[in-house]
Amino acid sequence: MTEFWIRFARNRGAVVGLVILVLVAAMAVLAPVLFPRSPWDMAGAPFMPPGEMGMLLGSDSLGRDVAAGIAHGARISLMVGAVSTVASLGIGVSLGAIAGYAGGWVDDALMRFTEFFQTIPSFILAVLLVAIFSPSITSIVGAIAIVSWPPVARVVRAEFLSLRGREFVQAAECLGKSRLAIIIGDILPNALSPIVVLASLMVASAILLESALSFLGLGDPNLMTWGFLIGSGRSVIRLAWWMSVFPGVAIFLTVLALNLVGEGLSDALNPRLARGRA
Amino acid sequence: MGVSRRGFTAASAAGGVLAASGLMRVSDAIAQGITPRRGGTLTTMLTPEPPILQIGVNNQGPTLIAASKIFQGLVKFSPTLEPLPELAQSWTISPDGKVYTFKLQPNVKFHDGTPMTADDVVFSVTKFHFELAPRARAIFSMIESAAAPDPHTVVFTLKQAFEPFLLMFDVTACAIVSKAAFDGRDYRQAPSVQHPIGTGPFRFAEWQRGNFIRLERFADYWKPNQPYLDAIIFRIVPDSQSRRLAMETGQTVLAHSNDIEPFDVPTLQAIPNLAVETKGWEYFSPLAWMEINHRAAPLNDVRVRRAISQAIDRSFITQRLWFGINKPATSPVASTTRFHDPAVKLPPYDPRAAMQLLDAAGLRPNAQGVRASIKHLVLPYGEVWARLGEYLRQSMRAVGIDLVLEATDAGSWARRIGAWEYETSINFVYQFGDPTLGVERTYVSSNIQKVTFTNTGGYANPKVDELFATARTSAAPAARAAAFSEVQKLLVDDVAQVWLMEMSFPTIYDRKLHNVITGGTGVNASFDDMFLAS
Amino acid sequence: MDPSRLPAFLLRRGIKAAIVILAIIVSNFFLIHAAPGDPASVMAGQSGAADERYLAQLRTQFGLDKPLLEQLWIYVRGMLALDLGYSHRQQMGVAALIWQRLPPTLLLTGVAFALAISGGVTLGALAARRVGTWADSVITVIALTFYATPIFWVGLMLVLLFSVVLGWLPSFGMNSVGADLHGIAAVLDVGRHLILPALTLGLFYVAVYARLTRATMLEVADQDFVKTARAKGVPEGRILRRHVLRNALLPVITLAGIQAGQLIGGSILVETVFAWPGIGRLAFEALLARDYPVLLGVFFCTSAMVVIFNLFTDLLYAMVDPRVEVQG
Repeated sequence: MTEFWIRFARNRGAVVGLVILVLVAAMAVLAPVLFPRSPWDMAGAPFMPPGEMGMLLGSDSLGRDVAAGIAHGARISLMVGAVSTVASLGIGVSLGAIAGYAGGWVDDALMRFTEFFQTIPSFILAVLLVAIFSPSITSIVGAIAIVSWPPVARVVRAEFLSLRGREFVQAAECLGKSRLAIIIGDILPNALSPIVVLASLMVASAILLESALSFLGLGDPNLMTWGFLIGSGRSVIRLAWWMSVFPGVAIFLTVLALNLVGEGLSDALNPRLARGRA
Repeated sequence: MGVSRRGFTAASAAGGVLAASGLMRVSDAIAQGITPRRGGTLTTMLTPEPPILQIGVNNQGPTLIAASKIFQGLVKFSPTLEPLPELAQSWTISPDGKVYTFKLQPNVKFHDGTPMTADDVVFSVTKFHFELAPRARAIFSMIESAAAPDPHTVVFTLKQAFEPFLLMFDVTACAIVSKAAFDGRDYRQAPSVQHPIGTGPFRFAEWQRGNFIRLERFADYWKPNQPYLDAIIFRIVPDSQSRRLAMETGQTVLAHSNDIEPFDVPTLQAIPNLAVETKGWEYFSPLAWMEINHRAAPLNDVRVRRAISQAIDRSFITQRLWFGINKPATSPVASTTRFHDPAVKLPPYDPRAAMQLLDAAGLRPNAQGVRASIKHLVLPYGEVWARLGEYLRQSMRAVGIDLVLEATDAGSWARRIGAWEYETSINFVYQFGDPTLGVERTYVSSNIQKVTFTNTGGYANPKVDELFATARTSAAPAARAAAFSEVQKLLVDDVAQVWLMEMSFPTIYDRKLHNVITGGTGVNASFDDMFLAS
Repeated sequence: MDPSRLPAFLLRRGIKAAIVILAIIVSNFFLIHAAPGDPASVMAGQSGAADERYLAQLRTQFGLDKPLLEQLWIYVRGMLALDLGYSHRQQMGVAALIWQRLPPTLLLTGVAFALAISGGVTLGALAARRVGTWADSVITVIALTFYATPIFWVGLMLVLLFSVVLGWLPSFGMNSVGADLHGIAAVLDVGRHLILPALTLGLFYVAVYARLTRATMLEVADQDFVKTARAKGVPEGRILRRHVLRNALLPVITLAGIQAGQLIGGSILVETVFAWPGIGRLAFEALLARDYPVLLGVFFCTSAMVVIFNLFTDLLYAMVDPRVEVQG
């Protein structure tokens, strides 16, 4: 474990990313303490520039505090990112594991299925799914999960294909362990590192995807998210640049941090690739 | 009583004098030393892109705005909704209010060169629009007979008196089409649907879908020397910020309807060469309200509806969200419409009174301070309406009602309102200049239908039904006014809907453009008198 | 690859592509029909007034009164005859509608793609070659920045800078209407309008391809055949070009094929921001209006484009097959 951290810490970008991520998470956790009022409450006059009327990042078109929106939005944006990633990992890992472990026609069929999902333009699919099931947190998370799982399935399948023939798997088979036990207990732990790296990147792209959906007006109207803030600020961007700039920066920093951490994880879990960095 | 009105004659029009309000405009221009100048292209916008430009086959806002340059009605309307001559140079109404006789302008040609005659008018009214447009069908089914005694005279005999009949002859309600182009064909599939042929000052020239529509000057237009402009280009610009930029940079010189978001209006207003007007919507007078489904508890309790109404600060909505473009509603009949009663008032904004009403209705706050949870279907017509939903949610929260917002698209919204599958929503409905045409449909129990823009809320009051019926069948304006005053009081007492605001839309134009808004239908005018000063 | 095996390879891929397209037709059809909202009530709603007769009339027109399976059969049969149906809302054949909107999208995505792949591979190769230096860091940071920024946000910022502040480039549309330009002037006019949207769409993928090229080049550089080449004394520049870059390009090509669809998806956002009259925007407008025939047509068309693009990359893949090179 310490060796892992040493390798991780050798990537300075990753450390910076981790620090940003911890700060964002802290902001999300502390939001109700920092801004006890609802982020939807009109806290002052509309279109106040940053610093006026005690609002650090200005107010929006209804006089709502942008800073409160960003802090409360961090909770939802991170949650959307995390939950949809978990959901798509669920789909991707199961399908990838089955395909890779079973091989043969099952593998073939599942891979055709995966390919099919990769062929349909994923953003258009996400837009369509959210529109069909009408915009809500569930439909947004579901749509993101449905368009994000194919890469997971491919990576997991590749790992399983290569691990399938190893001695420890054969040994487990000889011991009469059930297939499920072998998949979950023996192979999966060994395939974990690329999944972990992929997951950090998926959280990032889920946050981006959510903001794009909100931009097109497909956000959940009851939830404060960064995507919502940009969506509501973009049309007044020249009247109140702060409304879309700050949430945009929040997304940028978080996505950047997740990417940096992903790289650090990749370095730490896969030392061969980290060679050039030191 | 012997109502008999004569419009302006063709002679006066031919003499270079424009009708009523246009006359004022031109004299204004002349007073400033500007005479109408021939030439120039008007570059404006159209949002969203219309599917086709044939009025009747499609009657959506963008279609009407572009096609009202190609087509014309028998009459047009002044800002106070007085009828003015257009294709009809004059008309008379029989004393019993049943017989309408129109004298048509001579020398009117369609864009294909054929003359327009009384036959075309009869066909347009009794066949074309009757077949295609539900609104026209409802009114024109009252026509007992239509006759064309000579090529320039049309006589409509009604089954019973119908005082607002003339309001149906604006271009937006009943554009005159060529009988030869449609008769005997499927109107929707006729070739001229793709290439509209009208009598208007501009003819259809080119349409690059997703990009622009171009109309060009019709040389054989019946008003001599008009139109002044050589061409009109409608650019399709789907993004509101791009539209605002186009106005700022002068890429377009006229923005109208929903082109410019309310919050952008003050910025554009500050630009010296741009003028902003909110007039020109009197004929339509859209009235917006919080749509209440009377079938859903606790909304069936009048105290709860009144509490909701009193919890809303309408001036916040009109000032903060619509930047003063809209006005707070005071009655179910908009103040720009005939028969609006200024004595009728909505109960004032008073959250404390609202909470007392909710207490009285037995809705007590629970531990979280919530008295009731009500769903709200957000009107999916863009940004400002989304903000309105958020504002209503916070206002309701302040009196203990938890308003849960539901997002939707335009299609699902229309379907759910039509199927009564909602608790509250926002709706806005055109008033069409007369309560019988635009208000009655929302409140009478005979119009409780599973169709949008009927009485979808399910409000029913026999007294209201009776008053609307009286007003509909009465030929005397005074009797109608009395019935409408009574009905406005009753509807306000019952809080039949939670009226929010009288809507208008900003028309923004370059000051070198003259005669932009001249009548009660604003940019739906033919633009035959519009000109670009050099 | 052995040239004699190419026809069989192409045939196999062609059959696969056909099956994928058929599956897309069928699933798109059911997907859209699962959508709430009935096109008749949408149209009635937007025209401001409606009665039952009008709604019934519209439903008959849309074929919505027929059983679902019959509608599907009509649809599949039509698609196979390349008849994409008729949009009653737009009063126009869907195929004609898409044909009109296709060239702008192909132009936009084509230019953006060329920009992304040339820029991305160049930057990625540069970073990999100078790994660990300041140049590598700068390129990595730039790539990460664009990778982490919402695409529409980049578009808005470019509009702010180049249209509003500097006034250099037009912010919307594809050409200046009314200017009546011909020949070179007209081409240049479209070019000026193209710069910002293509840049917006391209920059994100520059970042994607740069990161990927860098990563795969580093990975390939570590492999045995490179070490062998180095041991044989092959010059470093030649190793990089002949062995490393060529092999590293494969994953980039594969990804590019897969992402052709994402590029079109991204064009919904970009076309909306810049009012670009392409099919990305058509798709979104059709979705809002519940214009089923157009939606089905656009999905078919974009998916078919991706399948064709994938075929093309497969072919490219076969031509730069690493095994041929490694053995040689």
